[in-house]
Amino acid sequence: MSATDCEQQGTGWGILEDLPGDPMIWVLIFSELAAFGLFLGAFVIARALHPAVFASGQATLDAHLAGINTIVLVTSGWAAARATAAARAGERGRARGWLFGAMALGGVFIAVKLTEYAGEIGLGNGLETSPFFTLYFLLTGFHLLHVGLGIVILAVVSRGARAESVETGTAFWHMVDLLWIVMFPIIYLVHP
Amino acid sequence: MSPDRLDIAWLTLIGLALATLLVPSLVSRPLFANALLLTFAALKGRRIVLDFLDLRAAPALWRGLVSAWVVIVVLFAWLASAIIALI
Repeated sequence: MSATDCEQQGTGWGILEDLPGDPMIWVLIFSELAAFGLFLGAFVIARALHPAVFASGQATLDAHLAGINTIVLVTSGWAAARATAAARAGERGRARGWLFGAMALGGVFIAVKLTEYAGEIGLGNGLETSPFFTLYFLLTGFHLLHVGLGIVILAVVSRGARAESVETGTAFWHMVDLLWIVMFPIIYLVHP
Repeated sequence: MSPDRLDIAWLTLIGLALATLLVPSLVSRPLFANALLLTFAALKGRRIVLDFLDLRAAPALWRGLVSAWVVIVVLFAWLASAIIALI
């Protein structure tokens, strides 16, 4: 089979090829959305079963710090989207600059979240304090790991700053953003 | 330089994030407050899906699948809180 035949037949990913970036990242994104969806569903069910425990746990959280982190992460997402636009236009230097901005804001998100954890642990709350805090630390901790992984992915794609690799890296980053947007009100603000 | 689609999406997200933080102090009825908070989350999710993830031009299947994830999660959270409030 010639190279032209391969190009005409695509890369074998079928309809996943219509998505921005490498199709493999979308397999990961759909898997992550399913896992976090189930995890958030478990949180919601546990809250319905123990409303008083969840209300008292939620009352000790710092929703304003988490709100600041929402603004930090969506701004980082905006920088990542700008990086994709620049990479598509062939402006690799500008794309790299926007990616560094997105990574720096990701670092701010981690710093704010760790400050928040320090405050919560300082109040005597930990993984085994209550069902609320078990799920809270697991959900937000798992998400925080994804923020760290996302920064690593953005750093990797910033080296060449090619359009497809930037699309791939930023697609993961926007998923991390999307997860936080949904998690934030459910964990911090919704009344049990 | 005039703002483009990405700038407008970002400003909308900032506005919705600030509005989300104001809901607990402005709306006292829990069911209504929860509905508002989760609607804002769905609207923010929609902006990220269409403008940042850039699924606006993607096949409807993928756009619908990711959008449906957002709607299902927030709807489930609201329904659970509503059922508990009504019991």
